[in-house]
Amino acid sequence: MSPVPVSTVPPRIDVSELPTTAHGPRAPLWWGVSGLLAIEATVFALCAVTYFYLRGSQPVWPPPGDRPLVGLATIQLALLLLSIVPMHLVERASTRRSLRGMRFWLIVCTLIGLVFLVLRGLEIALLGFRWDSHAYGSIFWTTLGIHTIHGLTSTGENILFITLLFKGPVEEKHLLDVQLNGVYWYFVVLAWIPIYAILYLDPGVIG
Amino acid sequence: MSVAERYDPNVVTDEDEARELERTWSSHRGFIGFFTEVGHVPIAKRYIVTAFVFFALGGVEAMLMRLQLARPESRLLGPDLYDQIFTMHGSTMMFLFAVPIMEAMGILLVPLMIGSRNMAFPRLNAYSYWVYLIGGVLVYAAFFLNTGPDAGWFSYVPLANPQFSPGKRVDVWAQLITFTELSALAAAVNQITTIFKHRAPGMSLNRMPLFVWAMLVTAFMIVFAMPAIMLASSYLALDRLVGTHFFNYTEGGDALLWQHLFWFFGHPEVYIIFIPALGMISSIITTFTRRPVFGYMAMVLSLVSTAFIGFGLWVHHMFATGLPQLGQSFFTAASIMIAVPSGVQVFCWIATLWTGRLRFKTPLLFVLGFFFIFVLGGLTGVMQASVPLDLQVHDTYFVVAHFHYVLIGGAVFPLLGALYYWMPKITGRKMSERMGKINFWILFIGFNLTFFPMHQLGLNGMPRRVYTYRAETGWGDLNLLATVGAALLGVGVLLFVANFLWSRRFGELAGDDPWGGDSLEWSTTSPPPGYDFLHLPTVRGRHPMWERDENQPVVVGLRTDRREVLVTRTLDAEPDHREIQPGPAWSPLFLALATGVGFVGVIFTPWGFPLGLILATAALVGWFWPHKADRPLLEEQP
Repeated sequence: MSPVPVSTVPPRIDVSELPTTAHGPRAPLWWGVSGLLAIEATVFALCAVTYFYLRGSQPVWPPPGDRPLVGLATIQLALLLLSIVPMHLVERASTRRSLRGMRFWLIVCTLIGLVFLVLRGLEIALLGFRWDSHAYGSIFWTTLGIHTIHGLTSTGENILFITLLFKGPVEEKHLLDVQLNGVYWYFVVLAWIPIYAILYLDPGVIG
Repeated sequence: MSVAERYDPNVVTDEDEARELERTWSSHRGFIGFFTEVGHVPIAKRYIVTAFVFFALGGVEAMLMRLQLARPESRLLGPDLYDQIFTMHGSTMMFLFAVPIMEAMGILLVPLMIGSRNMAFPRLNAYSYWVYLIGGVLVYAAFFLNTGPDAGWFSYVPLANPQFSPGKRVDVWAQLITFTELSALAAAVNQITTIFKHRAPGMSLNRMPLFVWAMLVTAFMIVFAMPAIMLASSYLALDRLVGTHFFNYTEGGDALLWQHLFWFFGHPEVYIIFIPALGMISSIITTFTRRPVFGYMAMVLSLVSTAFIGFGLWVHHMFATGLPQLGQSFFTAASIMIAVPSGVQVFCWIATLWTGRLRFKTPLLFVLGFFFIFVLGGLTGVMQASVPLDLQVHDTYFVVAHFHYVLIGGAVFPLLGALYYWMPKITGRKMSERMGKINFWILFIGFNLTFFPMHQLGLNGMPRRVYTYRAETGWGDLNLLATVGAALLGVGVLLFVANFLWSRRFGELAGDDPWGGDSLEWSTTSPPPGYDFLHLPTVRGRHPMWERDENQPVVVGLRTDRREVLVTRTLDAEPDHREIQPGPAWSPLFLALATGVGFVGVIFTPWGFPLGLILATAALVGWFWPHKADRPLLEEQP
């Protein structure tokens, strides 16, 4: 090939030295997870809207005799809030690139999550009304069900990451994945705060 | 990295690089390749073809309805079949044609327009398509088994409640919704991320082509609108399947809850279909007037404010349900207000056309047709924002006329124009101009003949969704006229398909830039290679193709032996890092099949849900499991 006159070669921006991973909003996956959470948050918000819409047309709410299990739900809330601490330490360990730290705190967080799921199962088993009892039962069970599915999938994701961290190979980009897994877990916890307030505090305080 | 360096030509030649990129970015061959495809251009092509198949099916249903209504007391279709056909027509056109085809155009064009190699999440892109396809096949399989949905495209309760709609017809509809909205949501998140993170260096947000802005705004609308319909259709499915009481009045449910949730999605839906079309119009007008669109900032702000106001109008679909007066006034005001941003855009385009050097090619003709039809549809829309008029024409053919003017004029005409315009990037060839012009006029005349008489029919009191009418009503002549128009419209669509098929084989070879376009998709070959651009471009203005000179830098240094893409910063598009993208994969198809098993399963038994969840988990483990060692590893390993 004949040499190319330098003037016809366009100037070039060389990106070969740039890293292949990034964290936070710099990473495309962060935006993907944020989009997912925006969708999920909209779903929970619409559950709340449904709750209040149905509540507005009822003289007595909840129907007489049917009360949610506030005590059990409050313990769940406490556990979920507690689980934020180990998940935050997972995130810290990931920025230190410490495999052992990530493993340890993710196991702790997952164990708390499993206890939470057992209590949630107990609550569902003990509830005195069903989804087909009345409209209150329908929206209560549906909202609780959606949140429980989030708890299940998120705990499943935690277990998947624990397996990955023990089995390897652990890639650079898995640090980001572990952090975003944490973001999803935070969402499951934080979404529960308003839902808890609506489902469990509303009937006693306002109703 | 903003340091521009002189490139040493001794290292690798462009030919070597192209050969290696070709190898890295090509799909698998044949049967396997079909199911594992993750490239944005092939997936977009599939989307477009699939959407057009559904468009044809919806069109056949429309023709059957027009034949039935051509004369009074016709016995061609019975009431039961007619119910299924109008429901299928509406559901098909909205959920299986209009939304997917707009997404498809975004998937095809956005990566090319922003100078990237693929969508941000290639496998999610494939997943969106498979889920959409499975949903569409499901509903048509059910329809041909006489289980087609029959409660209208909005499935109002109590008609759709189990006691008034026994059988599986409405359940099929509810699952169609779940499939198509899931697909749209996945595509929207993908689109947002692609636009925010994969723009060519220099393409700050304020330099993005208006089409890309339109797709971005649409994607955000999808994210916040579609959950409403997914949740509502889930409530409906639960009411029908496991006996919940969301819409059952006797147990504390509320039928109007359905309408609120449906239209909270349903009104933004109109803009989800319409806003991408606005982007197409801006692209076409820019190219065929040979000047930048007048008022870029006003156009962008109009798109964004349309999206916001679009969420505040849903109740105008419910004026006939007996709402508080304050609510009516609020939603009347909002419905009139949304005409403002639409008006701003129309005036900006008029200013552009006025001061540009017009070239009357087929795409521009379709845009001019849009102006005529859409303005009429918009005006009847403003009329119906007024509650007294709305109550008069509610559920009559006046409304049918109005929304066909808005949707066909506002979306289908620009879409066909866009396909004429961008066909070179799909097939490498131009469609025939002569046939295109004939095509336009037949469609334009056919459309107006079909739908203009419906305004009058509606004012005369002809209701929607009735399978026939008596001769004494005097509606026969106008209905016959509409049917003649519909036949002409059908001929127009067939002509479009014929032109496409003919030009795909024999059309004039287009070359890279047949129209003198302004945006980056015209800088690569027609059709583009699997890697889109040999060297990723950089830009320094809103019209990179018109501002090019030999000193415009290109990006080098992305590895060619694996699928590397450049990630740039969200606002200013400065290069940030390189990302390694996955290649062809089975996991999207498996996940879509698992989703399909779950969604179809719950039509018959609640156990379909856990079954689908377990299968989906297995598919997701396969999706995320690391299998290639060619990635940077952490120093510390197990």
